[in-house]
Amino acid sequence: MSLVKNVNRSMTTKCILIVCSVIALIAIYWPARHARHYDYIDLADVYDELLFVHVKTNKPNLKYCDYEDVIVNNSDVDVEEVVEQRRFYRPKNGGEYIPRTCNPLLKVAVIVPYRNRSQQLDVFLNYMHNFLQKQLIVYRIFVVNQTDNLPFNRAKMLNYGAKVAMDMDFPCLILHDVDLLPLNSGNIYSCSKKPRHMSSSLDTFRFNLPYLTLFGGAVAISSEHFQGINGMSNQFYGWGGEDDDFYRRLEIHSLLPYRFTPIISKYTMLFHKKEKASPSRYAMLEKSVALHRMDGLSSLPANYSVKSEKLYTLVMAS
Amino acid sequence: MDDRVRPLCCCEYFDGNNERSHILLCCCNCVDLDEGFESLITGQGFPDRNRSRLMATIQDRLRIPWRGGAKQVAFDAILPVIILPTMFLLAAISLWWTVFSFTAVAVILVSVFKFFIRTIPRTKFFIVWTVTSIIILYIIFEFLVIPLLEILVEENIFLTILFAGFLLCFYLMKIRNNTLGKIGESEAESGYVGSYNRCSICQVVVPEKDHHCVWFDCCVGRHNQCLFVLALFFAIASLLYSSNLTLTSVCHPFIVYKSILLPDDCSDVYQQFELGLSFVAAIYSLGLAAFLLMLFLHQILLVSLGLTSKEWRNLSFCAKCFLGLCSKRPHSLGFVKNWSRIMCSNKTYSNIAYSH
Repeated sequence: MSLVKNVNRSMTTKCILIVCSVIALIAIYWPARHARHYDYIDLADVYDELLFVHVKTNKPNLKYCDYEDVIVNNSDVDVEEVVEQRRFYRPKNGGEYIPRTCNPLLKVAVIVPYRNRSQQLDVFLNYMHNFLQKQLIVYRIFVVNQTDNLPFNRAKMLNYGAKVAMDMDFPCLILHDVDLLPLNSGNIYSCSKKPRHMSSSLDTFRFNLPYLTLFGGAVAISSEHFQGINGMSNQFYGWGGEDDDFYRRLEIHSLLPYRFTPIISKYTMLFHKKEKASPSRYAMLEKSVALHRMDGLSSLPANYSVKSEKLYTLVMAS
Repeated sequence: MDDRVRPLCCCEYFDGNNERSHILLCCCNCVDLDEGFESLITGQGFPDRNRSRLMATIQDRLRIPWRGGAKQVAFDAILPVIILPTMFLLAAISLWWTVFSFTAVAVILVSVFKFFIRTIPRTKFFIVWTVTSIIILYIIFEFLVIPLLEILVEENIFLTILFAGFLLCFYLMKIRNNTLGKIGESEAESGYVGSYNRCSICQVVVPEKDHHCVWFDCCVGRHNQCLFVLALFFAIASLLYSSNLTLTSVCHPFIVYKSILLPDDCSDVYQQFELGLSFVAAIYSLGLAAFLLMLFLHQILLVSLGLTSKEWRNLSFCAKCFLGLCSKRPHSLGFVKNWSRIMCSNKTYSNIAYSH
């Protein structure tokens, strides 16, 4: 009788052990604990997603620029070569460039929030002018410098840059961090039918995407969409989360962003600082998203100044 | 209820005087310590009698909670559980601490190896070291490196498959060793060609014993040599892969070819403690992989030549330089037969096992 009891007890302990180890295995290999696989637009379909615009030029008789060629015949840049000196045509005062060999169909404003990182800015300008000119697009680089001593407010600076760019009639905005550089020439800097998270394959993240709602780094959004969501929030001083708030605003307006194939979306981060990616920052976001109609482009104070430098347009704001 | 009849809780035990005691009382009431210190303070030195009784009391009271009463653990078995975590935590502070910590532990290991092999041949120090290393490396990988959100699920699963391969080979190896017992002796009686050595540590007769591996606490002979070689292979593969994943997550990576990444800039790794700890674990894995690679190549050489470890040790230095190719190899049957002997030996082995 006691033998049967013993056998039953060892059977139950075995069952419990097996169940516990299965639960532990499921918990450890849960996909959300790892880098994610994501849907993206394949290389062949990228061209069809682009939003082309009519650009007024002095030479309307030139043939249109071939962007399909730029995308499909892409090549990678080695990370060591990124900091080398490059040659590019001198842009107009204010950092605007118009391609001369063909009739462009894309016009973008590259907006870079900035404070006190002159070394990174030099590398950025040197690389990006050369990079963007090869893409045969009309572009203008806006550097938005935060002049006060409060913690860095990336979103507010992007709002200022967007306002200035929209006043200058730019239909497409590229919100770009100063320490990110694209590694593939096929990464066409233009807007697409939906907002696009450009920096989806960043080298500091092993070229993987840490979580699906990541929306920082480099983003392409049309001025129309940006205006529609009232830009980004002005409240995020210092503390991260402004990109998650941006994502939530797009979600409310059914404008969820997408990504292009990782082949052309490779980026490198200059002066690589390692920060732990923390996707759970929704505490403050609940409050801010509800008030988004009152907090953003519409509530932007008017104290800023615009100045044309040699390689970029400087916006001083606070 | 009578004290003797009441069952022991997991922290209670019967001490050297057959009295009931508890783990929490380990630091209370030590007569020998009191007497010894009293005579020390009064200038008479620590008496030898108290010293030996003190060591006995310490060994008696050194226990861990276990079902049915606290179990005694030998001091040499508990040592790795203290040394390894301390080494990792100290090494994660800065680069100099890493260098210092690893060299100190290497020195400790070498001296312990020489000391314990002579004095306590049946020590469990090395197997506890192996098990503790495995547990620490696994925990650091799954709970410090994976939450960085840079490793894909497939990469984690592939690493786990390699690791499971190692565990399987290790487990089978020990099983074969445990069931060896009478089978080896009966083979010797039936006049099978080959050497038969008695292993003083395993207390069994091992057919064509190669060596006794202290790190796995297991004899390696014809019966499980192919499993030993396979276990080494899986261990090296999983250590190399896990250290690559860890280093490319914690440091700045670059693409070598398509999706193969290597780290190139690890300067910021000590800024955060978790990153430093993961980095140190990866360096330890690499060191371990290098050591196991040497063992692996040595085993491949020995099997190809048909030599046992003892025969290799007995060769002269010149003979070793020529990789033993010119020396007499009495038990070698040629390259191909040597390999098929260890790989197919499990069939003859299990036949004999079933016939008993």
